[in-house]
Amino acid sequence: MYRSSASSRFILGYLLGFLTFAITTGMLYVLRDYLDTPLIALLFLLPVGINTAFWGLGPGILSALSAFLGFNYFFIKPYYTLAVHQSSDLIVLIVFLVVAVVISQLVARAQAGLAAATTREREATKLYELSAALAGVQDDQAIVRIVATEALQTFTAEQVQVTVTPAKSQEWQLILPVEAMAITRNPEWTIPLQTARGMLGEIRLWRADATLEPAEERLLHTFASQGAMALERAWLTQTETRAKVLEESDHLKSALLSSVSHELRSPLATIKASITSLRSGNVQWKSSAREDLLATVDDETDHLNRLVGNLLDMSRIESGALKPQRQWNLIVEIIGGVISRMRKATEGHQLIVDVPEDLPLVPVDYVQMEQVFDNLISNSLKYAPPNTMIRISANKQDEGMLLVTVSNQGPPVPQEHLDRIFDKFYRVTDADRVTGTGLGLSICKGIIAAHGGRIWAENLPYGFAFNFTIPLTLDGTPPHTLPVDSETI
Amino acid sequence: MSSTAPHILVIDDEPQILRAMRTILTEKKFQVTVANRGEEGLTLAAANPPDLVILDLGLPDMDGFEVCARLREWTQIPIIVLSVRDSERDKVTALDKGADDYLTKPFGIEELLARVRVALRHSAQSQGRKETIVKAGTLVIDLARHIITRAGNEVKLTGTEYKLLVYLAANTGRVLTHHSILTNVWGEAEADHIEYLRVYMRQLRKKLEEDPERPQYILTEPGIGYRFLADE
Repeated sequence: MYRSSASSRFILGYLLGFLTFAITTGMLYVLRDYLDTPLIALLFLLPVGINTAFWGLGPGILSALSAFLGFNYFFIKPYYTLAVHQSSDLIVLIVFLVVAVVISQLVARAQAGLAAATTREREATKLYELSAALAGVQDDQAIVRIVATEALQTFTAEQVQVTVTPAKSQEWQLILPVEAMAITRNPEWTIPLQTARGMLGEIRLWRADATLEPAEERLLHTFASQGAMALERAWLTQTETRAKVLEESDHLKSALLSSVSHELRSPLATIKASITSLRSGNVQWKSSAREDLLATVDDETDHLNRLVGNLLDMSRIESGALKPQRQWNLIVEIIGGVISRMRKATEGHQLIVDVPEDLPLVPVDYVQMEQVFDNLISNSLKYAPPNTMIRISANKQDEGMLLVTVSNQGPPVPQEHLDRIFDKFYRVTDADRVTGTGLGLSICKGIIAAHGGRIWAENLPYGFAFNFTIPLTLDGTPPHTLPVDSETI
Repeated sequence: MSSTAPHILVIDDEPQILRAMRTILTEKKFQVTVANRGEEGLTLAAANPPDLVILDLGLPDMDGFEVCARLREWTQIPIIVLSVRDSERDKVTALDKGADDYLTKPFGIEELLARVRVALRHSAQSQGRKETIVKAGTLVIDLARHIITRAGNEVKLTGTEYKLLVYLAANTGRVLTHHSILTNVWGEAEADHIEYLRVYMRQLRKKLEEDPERPQYILTEPGIGYRFLADE
């Protein structure tokens, strides 16, 4: 298509060039008796210049020759012959020919220069667009999509296929336009995506017109190298990020080990001390003392069990294996269960549950949610002074979310710690002053996130609060409505 | 149940657990047999049928569900499964495959003994006559006359609430999975609608419990189901 329009344009150029010449000749012929020969020669230069400027060198030269012949035939005496009698006329004629040819060449050269500049500008613009689109894109899929889209538009291709062959994983490809029919013939152009490190893939281009202008071919190669470089950069960044994550997790693991061995050892020490005391035959224990020691062993065993549970949960959250079994639950039932289990621990505080009666069912994992409340209440108990109030409230929010708040009257937490208290092993106070693995709140964060919610902490005018949200729909649907049940026994 | 001491078969691969169980249960006047492999347990059970099986779900040679299923092929003796925390799904699977109750490791021995008592009593009942009056604190459920009283005052229940309570009371002390309650009260078609259960249990607690937030009779078994506690 592109080619055929170019050749018809070429023929049109010659036709219009000749037409311009004919019109000029006609007009000058009418005015022949009023004009001097040199003036006519000058006026004849007009169509030569115009034709070269509009239609290029060929039509320009044609009109220069036509003008030369026409000028001689119609305007140099004797009229209607190509003979020349006066020597001055001969000079005019020769000068005219030379000037006409020179003008048409000069104009044509200027035109060619302009065209080249336009092509270069277009090339530069396209390249700029491509590199602007690629800048900062770190996702290899996105990079390939950009390269393919730009190539499709720039080269007016029927279809573009970009194949990527990563070193360590499966080869994959992208074909544009998406709805394209399968083309059976071989692509007209195949350009490798090559960098100094090797082949990353290739671009295949199907195009009705197999030939490309040299500038276009150059542009296509530049596209390929830009794309290849962007891909390489993206992969390098990914590798670097992975290395960083590994380093960080290594660091966390050693923090975990030190925290864990300390935390596990203290209940073990207590248990060991109590049991060996009871077994030693030297001392006759009073029955109340025996009871005390045994109760301590019992408590410490539970504590140890909780610690191990926390560690397990954390490793599950880390490895992404924590999959909540979301079922419809009454939040008030979960809170009630946790509070009655924690009755002994909460004796020194005043617990208030403020949950409206008409609160809808929430799709949560019962056991994991119990853990969230357990951890948030335990945390509040640790920091809030004795005999103060701990308040648990839940309310429906407009956006189909449930907002739960566990607030206490404890001291405020400095602003810079508020976001970080959900990080693993992060403690606002010294580790020696408060017991725990430093995992409780990060487990809460992991569980809430796995439920599609958000958890955050804030300082209140007279205390401190944990807030979290939970979506009220399960896979986008609210709970099933209940069948009517009115009959009474 | 035989006239002699009840016979308990413990299947667990941990020698320390077996040792402790044997000591404690023998002390509590049970006859105890132990096995540390599933296959061995099945052979022992077939050779000398016990009155109750305590089965650990994490066995090295075959999974506990299979042991459950193979036992259920020929006997209805109660099975109590032992499992670790966070494996609610496994517990539910075992219960739905015929296990009678579960305990989460680590457990207190009182808890174990209570489960054993309930399971033995229930298996004795299902062979003999059924209790028609169930008492739980101030609550009296007369299954024959369809009358429920709390501290002497009659409690009005809707049809579904009554069906639900009857099912709970008929299985006093035993854990009932969500699935089994839904299937028995609402029918197989509604077995996935746990939301019905939450709402009706709440209504029932409001009518029967002193403090619905801290229930004493209708207990929630987190992630598993419910358990109805009555006077022994």
